[in-house]
Amino acid sequence: MLAQRKPGILNRFYLIEIVRGLWITLRNFLFHEKVTLQFPEQRRDYSPRYRGQHYIKTVNEVENCTACMLCPTVCPAECIHIVAGEREDKEKYPIKFEIDILRCCFCGMCEEACPKDAIKLSNIYEMSQEHREVYTKDFLLEQRGNKK
Amino acid sequence: MPKCMIDGKEVEFTAGENLVKVAKRAGVEIPVFCYHPGLSVVAQCRMCYVEVEKMPKLQTACSTMATEGMVVKTNSENVKKGRAGTMEFLLLNHPLDCPICDKAGECDLQDNSYGYGSAYMRGSEERRTYVDVNMGPVIQKNMNRCIHCTRCIRFGDEIAGIHEMVAIKRGNDIDITTIDGKTLQTEYAGNYSDICPTGSLTLKDFRFKKRAWMLKKTTTVCEGCSKGCNMEIQHEGDVIYRCVPLENLDVNRYWMCDEGRFNYQHTQDPTRIIEPKVKAEGGWKTISWEDGILGIKEEIDGQKPTFLVGSDLTQEELTHIKEYIALQHPGATIQHFGTPGLTSTQQDGALDQILRMKSKTSNLNGAEKLGIAPLMNDTIKADTVVVMSAGRAKLPKINAKRVIAVGVYLEGDASQFDMILPGLAFSEKDGTIVNHQGIEQKLKRAVLPRGKCKSLSEVLMLLTNKKARVGANP
Repeated sequence: MLAQRKPGILNRFYLIEIVRGLWITLRNFLFHEKVTLQFPEQRRDYSPRYRGQHYIKTVNEVENCTACMLCPTVCPAECIHIVAGEREDKEKYPIKFEIDILRCCFCGMCEEACPKDAIKLSNIYEMSQEHREVYTKDFLLEQRGNKK
Repeated sequence: MPKCMIDGKEVEFTAGENLVKVAKRAGVEIPVFCYHPGLSVVAQCRMCYVEVEKMPKLQTACSTMATEGMVVKTNSENVKKGRAGTMEFLLLNHPLDCPICDKAGECDLQDNSYGYGSAYMRGSEERRTYVDVNMGPVIQKNMNRCIHCTRCIRFGDEIAGIHEMVAIKRGNDIDITTIDGKTLQTEYAGNYSDICPTGSLTLKDFRFKKRAWMLKKTTTVCEGCSKGCNMEIQHEGDVIYRCVPLENLDVNRYWMCDEGRFNYQHTQDPTRIIEPKVKAEGGWKTISWEDGILGIKEEIDGQKPTFLVGSDLTQEELTHIKEYIALQHPGATIQHFGTPGLTSTQQDGALDQILRMKSKTSNLNGAEKLGIAPLMNDTIKADTVVVMSAGRAKLPKINAKRVIAVGVYLEGDASQFDMILPGLAFSEKDGTIVNHQGIEQKLKRAVLPRGKCKSLSEVLMLLTNKKARVGANP
């Protein structure tokens, strides 16, 4: 059993403790720098290693991806679906490249596995949608949030 | 038996065995490129270096026969250095194509480079490139990836019996190609892709469909002819992507013909009938399994229809059919069909000197063993005919009022039928088939049945029941 300490009459009144607590609040409110942002107007700078929305890097408007299927192989959420094909200027390219973003856990292993520096996770973190849509190839090819 | 020492392990061997084979038995893997157990030994890739005591230089294990008291080291510093040097030379001109290459994941060059080569390249010269010739409908060539092991040349010479691949030019300009750039003529062209240790010769049929490591593998037997070649069905998500031969020295050794290799395609043909259908005015009408079973019972119950069974069915299915006939239609005739003009195993024989047989169905021997009479003349005249086959047997001309079919049929075959109940193809069922030598081999289910197909045994069971109670599909 814990030994119970009997507080003195002042402590039993709690007034000192209340004033002390309120002083912490007041001190932070008046003298400290604010940690929150006015979100839509102000935005925070994220680390370049942040793992946000995916995109496929293009060079001279040709996708880097060769449909080697390493990203669907390594993906723990199994959310990448690729169909490979052949075209004249490229021996192997993805006809279909879909990311089921609702399944994605943003582990970044696809980016790590990619031998062609094609699939990348950008700094974009606003990805809420009104519909349950997968990211198609056309969507992923837009170079938004390009990391270089 | 004579004995030798490999990496400190004592191994017995028979005279004339080379060190690669002996080492494999001792559990020591020696990396090889040009050596293949089914082909002659040329020792030109220099990958299988081993150190043999009392021999001054490194020896190639594939061309060195084991002798009594030989002491072999496969992992000494010298050997490692030799292998790394060989790997460096082989990779001088090999493109870094692995993300594109279909061979990646099952590539000898990849494995051995990872195991015995260096992770870095010292050279900075440009790699040599070629313009590729068209090799025909089976094989896609990519000469840039070739390491000149000449397995393909030797396969053509020694196994396929056609000298069609040659090495032209010498030295750095060497080009492994067909004579005069012709397309491949052999019926065994798919093997070129299997034996190629790199992605230089790949299957056009499998090109970019799947990566090798994504495929699940099921060991089964080819149903293409009465040879019964052992093969592996490679599939994923109930879709077959390719079939590759497996080693069986009693049956097919290491090879397989193209007909058998691509025979799986008919099971995934979009025109395959996968739902019970009945002939209606102006085409086919899809019906439920209950209606199908009841419809057949109405037509054949208490009568003596003629049963035609394909000799591509398994022993189990043929036995079930015989039992069913004895129980339900005693006295009805049962005849097997398969290849036009070929009615018994005596007429069966080799079509060429390699693998292919005259009988284009897998279980002719088994049907004969079960005492089923063959169908003569490839035509039948009867009142009602029930045809049961697994899609490989060639249908005879049927002259009958009503023809009921159970099994695997494409829409093109079905014009003779009045009613079809879909059955299982060889990749969708387990069973036993007896090849022309009398060897019993097992078929194994690789993929789930397509559509509403049901096994023949289940159909017979439903036909035997008083009520057609069809359970959940499949």
